[in-house]
Amino acid sequence: MDSKSGIWHSLYNQLASIKLTVILFIVIAVSSLIGTLIPQGLNQEHLIEAYGPKLGNLIHFLHFGDLYHAPWFTILLVSLCVNLVVCTLHRLPKTVKIVRFRDQKVDPRKLSQFSRHRRTESSLPREDLIAKVETILARHFAPIRRLEAQGAYAGIAERGGWSRFTVYAVHFSVLLILIGALAGSLFGFKGMMNVAEGETASVVSIPGTPRTISLPFEVRCDEFEVSFYETGAPMEYRSDLSILKDGNVVLQQPIYVNDPLTYDGVTLYQASYGSMLVSGEVEFTDRETGQTTRLSMLHRVPVALPGTPYQVAIMDYKEKLGELGPALAIALFQEGHDPIGSWILARMPGFHGNRIRGYQVKVIDFQQAQYTGLQVKKDPGVWVVWGGFVLLTLSVGITFYTSHRKIWVWVADGNPRRKIQIAAKTNKNSLAFDREFDHLWERLQAELRGEQGKQGPSTS
Amino acid sequence: MNSSLLLSITTFAYLFCALAYFSGAIFRNRTALLMGTIVGWITFSVQTVALLLRWWESYQLGYGHAPLSNLYESLVFAAWAIMVVYLILEQRSKQRSLGLFPALFAFLAMAYASFSTSIDSRIQPLVPALKSNWLIAHVIACFIGYAAFAVACGVSVIYLCKRAGGTSSSTDSKGVLSRFPDLRQLDELNYQMIMFGFLWLSIGIITGAVWANSAWGTYWSWDPKETWSLITWIVYAAMLHARTMHGWRGKRVAWLSLAGFACVLFTYFGVNYLARGLHSYANM
Repeated sequence: MDSKSGIWHSLYNQLASIKLTVILFIVIAVSSLIGTLIPQGLNQEHLIEAYGPKLGNLIHFLHFGDLYHAPWFTILLVSLCVNLVVCTLHRLPKTVKIVRFRDQKVDPRKLSQFSRHRRTESSLPREDLIAKVETILARHFAPIRRLEAQGAYAGIAERGGWSRFTVYAVHFSVLLILIGALAGSLFGFKGMMNVAEGETASVVSIPGTPRTISLPFEVRCDEFEVSFYETGAPMEYRSDLSILKDGNVVLQQPIYVNDPLTYDGVTLYQASYGSMLVSGEVEFTDRETGQTTRLSMLHRVPVALPGTPYQVAIMDYKEKLGELGPALAIALFQEGHDPIGSWILARMPGFHGNRIRGYQVKVIDFQQAQYTGLQVKKDPGVWVVWGGFVLLTLSVGITFYTSHRKIWVWVADGNPRRKIQIAAKTNKNSLAFDREFDHLWERLQAELRGEQGKQGPSTS
Repeated sequence: MNSSLLLSITTFAYLFCALAYFSGAIFRNRTALLMGTIVGWITFSVQTVALLLRWWESYQLGYGHAPLSNLYESLVFAAWAIMVVYLILEQRSKQRSLGLFPALFAFLAMAYASFSTSIDSRIQPLVPALKSNWLIAHVIACFIGYAAFAVACGVSVIYLCKRAGGTSSSTDSKGVLSRFPDLRQLDELNYQMIMFGFLWLSIGIITGAVWANSAWGTYWSWDPKETWSLITWIVYAAMLHARTMHGWRGKRVAWLSLAGFACVLFTYFGVNYLARGLHSYANM
């Protein structure tokens, strides 16, 4: 039973150690670095093509080709979160103890060893002297609390104890950002949707997967427009969108590249644009009989080729097939057989490749429409991330520019003059505190000297 | 009078400023150091005017954007940011002898921007993705952070030289390095600059993320530049932890500061040679 609790205890100690934090920092940094050296998002074949079979397969096996989404990288980030939480739970009680701690007594010999330490003498009466010191500190630093001092006078003033807690706010904000990102990847989606001018769409495809998502509303692109500078560089992309619910327009709004539209938790971004095929008029000539059939076809809608067992359809379109101009991918379907097809060059009717099985194929005409490419995103975690960002900025700033400072004062009766010692400590920002301490010391000395001057000649 | 002329003057003036600081520190000459400060402030003012002028000129061309949009403009702004961070530090710390490296870095940034044949110094129109106020916030925050890291790097180099020179043991004021602040002050200044830089780098990454979210619909996409800025952030975060939790001081912190600045330089320049990402316009 002891060994069991021993394992848990040592695991806890491991998780609470700053050493683990540093190791995780290094591993995450090095893995991120690897991810910037290997092109991301390539599949296994592409990796083998680029790196050869041995290295390519290894990269694929280690998920280095999609490193930032690899399970082991997620595990690293989760470990960092766990380490952060355990460290906090482990250290918070200690911090509370430090902040709550009240010095009870003070040893004047120890004070004289502090790096910030000053001493002077004064012939003022004891009560006046103490009153002056207490007033100056209360006014310019913090009120003095008296300490035990065996007949002498001792006191301590402290400020900024709370600043020891702000680092926990920094850690909490990092946690918030990671939690928000996790929530977004679990409960949100990110996809693409092309909508031709005048058309309506509601299905989003998720890149890299065969998955699609149906939106609970429809998006209509009323108009898409690109404007250019005189240099020919693009100036602005604009899509006029309408959101339809049950056939009724519920929202009309133009979107720009930096100005998306949000409806029902889903945000639509202007991402790309292009031309897409609407329909084509195609002529099929049987090379044996010479019989010619002309068909009007909508994009991706199969049409029967009369007098044959075949159906034909325009499956794809390219504005430029290499140097050969626009091309239509036309396919021939027959029940029980695999479809066959070919790229048919629209502007080069004589091209020898313009044939499918026994048919010479000729594109008579085709109609295109401009489409707008929308990035579609739902991210319920984004507000948590924003909250984390705001908290991180504030807490990092406050952590760096606040500190826990203590000043000790010691006044001992002496003959003929009283001895005064003051000493100080800070946990951070020691140069700034050096200046603050020097100013305070100058004030104190000026005050003591000034009063002595008024009282007349003092003992020399 | 146009902004290009003023920026050419700025380039050479920063070289002069660096030389003044250098001779002042090496020959322990107060006048030369004072000259460095004066030239530094004047050049900085001229550069500020040049930046504002270039902004105005972009409106004359019909583009109308802040001069923060390509590699040339970012280098010029980097020089400006390094000098503003340094000059304020100089005012506050009353230490003139640290000016050599900031002025040198400012000169190198300006010289690279002006003389590299691959950098286009013309004012170009903004592509749609860059049309955002977040761009201005993002670039300013990042470069103030980078500038603080550059100053910290200079302080660390001086720290390591002084440490190697063994002046910590000898208290005499005759040594070549005696113009510089003592080791404890250098260590503390390095730490202060890194804290300041870390704060601004954090703000820079955050504003970049908010901008990316409005332009591309994702606040983090592991683009190489983003990733390298995160690596830089982690290196400095590790340094801050080592110092506060493990009590690291002096030499080790100075080396970490140099490592961090190497990451900054790679984030800024090196990444452009890696796979192109969202920040590819930074090559233009």
